[in-house]
Amino acid sequence: MRGARGSMAVTGLSVLSAAGMGKDLFFAALALGAPTRPSPPKDLQAFDSAAYDAPNVVEVLGFDPTVLLGDKGLRTLDRITKLLIVAARMCLHDVGFKANGQWQRSEPTKVGFVCSNAYGSLEAITELDRVALLEDARYINPAKFPNTVSNSAAGYVSIWEDLRALNVSVSNGNPGALDAIGIAEVHLASGRADALITGGGEAMCEALFLAFKKLGALRSPGFCLGEGAAMVCLEPELSAESRGATILARVTGYGTHFSAPKDDALLHPSEEAMGAAIEQALESADVAAKDVDLVVSGLSGLAPFDAAELGAIHGSIGRTANVFAPKKLVGESLGASGALAVAAAVYARNGGTLGRMEAGHAPSRPRHIVVTSLGYYGNASAVVIS
Amino acid sequence: MTGLYTRVVQSYRQGSAGATGSPRVFITGVGVVSSIGIGKQAFYESLRAGRTGLSKLGAFAAGDLGRDIAGEVKDFRAEDHMTHAEARNAGRCAHMAVAAARLATKDAAISDEALGGTRVAVVMGTTMGEGALLGDLEGAWIKSGEGAINRADIPRYGSTLLPIHVARALGVSGLVSTLPAACAAGNYAIGFGADLIRMGRADVVVCGAAELLQELQFAGFVRLAAMAKERCRPFDKNREGLILGEGAAVLVLESEAHAVRRNAAAQAEVLGMGLTCDGYHITRPHPDAAGSIEAMRQAIARSGITPDAVDFVNAHGTGTKANDVAETKVMHDVFRGRRVPISSMKSMLGHCMGAASALEAAGCVFTLETGVYPPTIGFETPDPECDVDVVANVAREGKADIILNNSLAFGGYNAVTCFSRPYKVPELGLPARVLS
Repeated sequence: MRGARGSMAVTGLSVLSAAGMGKDLFFAALALGAPTRPSPPKDLQAFDSAAYDAPNVVEVLGFDPTVLLGDKGLRTLDRITKLLIVAARMCLHDVGFKANGQWQRSEPTKVGFVCSNAYGSLEAITELDRVALLEDARYINPAKFPNTVSNSAAGYVSIWEDLRALNVSVSNGNPGALDAIGIAEVHLASGRADALITGGGEAMCEALFLAFKKLGALRSPGFCLGEGAAMVCLEPELSAESRGATILARVTGYGTHFSAPKDDALLHPSEEAMGAAIEQALESADVAAKDVDLVVSGLSGLAPFDAAELGAIHGSIGRTANVFAPKKLVGESLGASGALAVAAAVYARNGGTLGRMEAGHAPSRPRHIVVTSLGYYGNASAVVIS
Repeated sequence: MTGLYTRVVQSYRQGSAGATGSPRVFITGVGVVSSIGIGKQAFYESLRAGRTGLSKLGAFAAGDLGRDIAGEVKDFRAEDHMTHAEARNAGRCAHMAVAAARLATKDAAISDEALGGTRVAVVMGTTMGEGALLGDLEGAWIKSGEGAINRADIPRYGSTLLPIHVARALGVSGLVSTLPAACAAGNYAIGFGADLIRMGRADVVVCGAAELLQELQFAGFVRLAAMAKERCRPFDKNREGLILGEGAAVLVLESEAHAVRRNAAAQAEVLGMGLTCDGYHITRPHPDAAGSIEAMRQAIARSGITPDAVDFVNAHGTGTKANDVAETKVMHDVFRGRRVPISSMKSMLGHCMGAASALEAAGCVFTLETGVYPPTIGFETPDPECDVDVVANVAREGKADIILNNSLAFGGYNAVTCFSRPYKVPELGLPARVLS
């Protein structure tokens, strides 16, 4: 992964999570090490959950986009769009490109956006489907129709934040945000932008909740469906150094793999894919497994997937690997989850305390951190943070 | 030809971005599922003949929307291209994607063994993926409650699945990725696929896009007042808007070394790609077309050529007032008064959304292979606001060494890919078999 311009530098960071708005609240939750408490049904913002018993979901605590964005222009935006815009603006502020929403450094044509999202348009599709099915398709709101398109939320980020370099939306399920980092690296190495705000977002909505409920996932011990958004600002390392940027961490490796099941099952927790992705990421980072001090995993409480992911970690890094599982604290946020895990890795790399480990112990200032994510369909990706 | 040849060689020697001195990327296979033909040959024949694929909508009832014409693929049968188990696991969008991928790999005459390694990637684009499947799930829930939802159908929904199904069908085990870039998704997938090969991340990339007609999308475009009643007439003064379509197109991209090793026949070469975002409006192109202009300039510069080397532009050409005027501005600004022929395949296919620019990329390969520009059918009255050299109604023979595939999309996305005939460049030591 180390091209002519070196590794990718992480120069900014933002997080919206079940712990609240902002990276500091997220970091505090990681240090505390206790799961964020599922909201009682009446407390949910995203949908009216009163009809459901113990919905076992968490939202971004106290999410209020008006704090950063004001209250104009938000009416037709759906929840995922608001999450992404707020997270992107926080990241642009954190890196110092913007202050109070205005450009301070760099310029619109030099900064782009790469974002993972698995099911972001569900809320809008449901809203419009309700109108079409219960009233008439002639009455659907045309101002909300664009929200039904998968890349719409990412597009709105460029509109709100005036990012006019490339805008890429990625829909690869759980590993999507790690894949967004791999995609960003290709575009940065190709010189298509000076910096890319990269990450992922997922929004809670009733259809998403119902899908997981019907599949039985919400009954799995330890599993909690969540939402969130996290972004990192990625720049070529040499560019970041030459402009004197604070480098929070370096992304030195990326690997991804797909493995089909032997039968015709669609859902496929693949230890083989996860292991191959980890090994490819380590190889591209030129890091030996013995030098990996921490794994920030995607373990979520879904037993077959956790077993496959943990098996791959043991097989590729070793049975004594120190394994952290942020989803056990802030919920499974699907397309955002890889970005939240990368944020956790950057935090740990800079000496942040991890309050509850899944396995092993929490190292102080780990040298190399592997972030893993296993998809539901046989796809898996891994990133190395150094 | 000599001038072009010299420029291509120079660009490689100078290592200009995109054509870079890094591995060349060839298109060795094309697979198409469209309303004007399934399979490359049928598609090519229809492009040459200027056949329309538009017909009365049969997939669903349009009700009182006042529009009922679409570019529907009516003769597609999933079982002609996949096993029963494969078909059962997927929705119609993935059916078309898998069929196009199998047609493309067959056209490339690439072996299962060559597709099986980790150096092979699948990158697919779409706008709404399995929207019809989701519509069924939501319909059951909204009308009859949670208990009516078919649990088995839930995992079959999701754009994530498009490349997964293709990878399963072909035995691919490398990178699989969905880039939902709306109406520019095909160009995104092809351009990113070419980047993966140039950067040494893959030897073969199976890439393209798929989209199916579905009710919510159809109603949405009617409500946006963007849909024409009967015909899509891009660049015509009396154009009324777009007509929706569906389909899939997949290309097999290969690195030069991989193509040489298996003695493959190259049909075209992928040069550069331009990518920008307007950052202006979620559905409308920027009135100054600044982002589109920049994307086309990037595609040209990254191909190591100058605008005077471009012979033809396969237009985005939706037939809406705003798009066609913006695209005209791009042509004027980039080509500075030179009237480069332009044509919109959407006049025949309708606007196949996520699949559109992949189908148009397949059309670009057709043009490069045959020297024929596909026509913009239904063109009657020139529009002073669209003062471009439209290939009107009848296919036109012309120079076809280097062509551009232009696309714009919801979200302000602009993506332009540049393709060339697979030139023989003896200084680079490439064997004629690949380049002939």
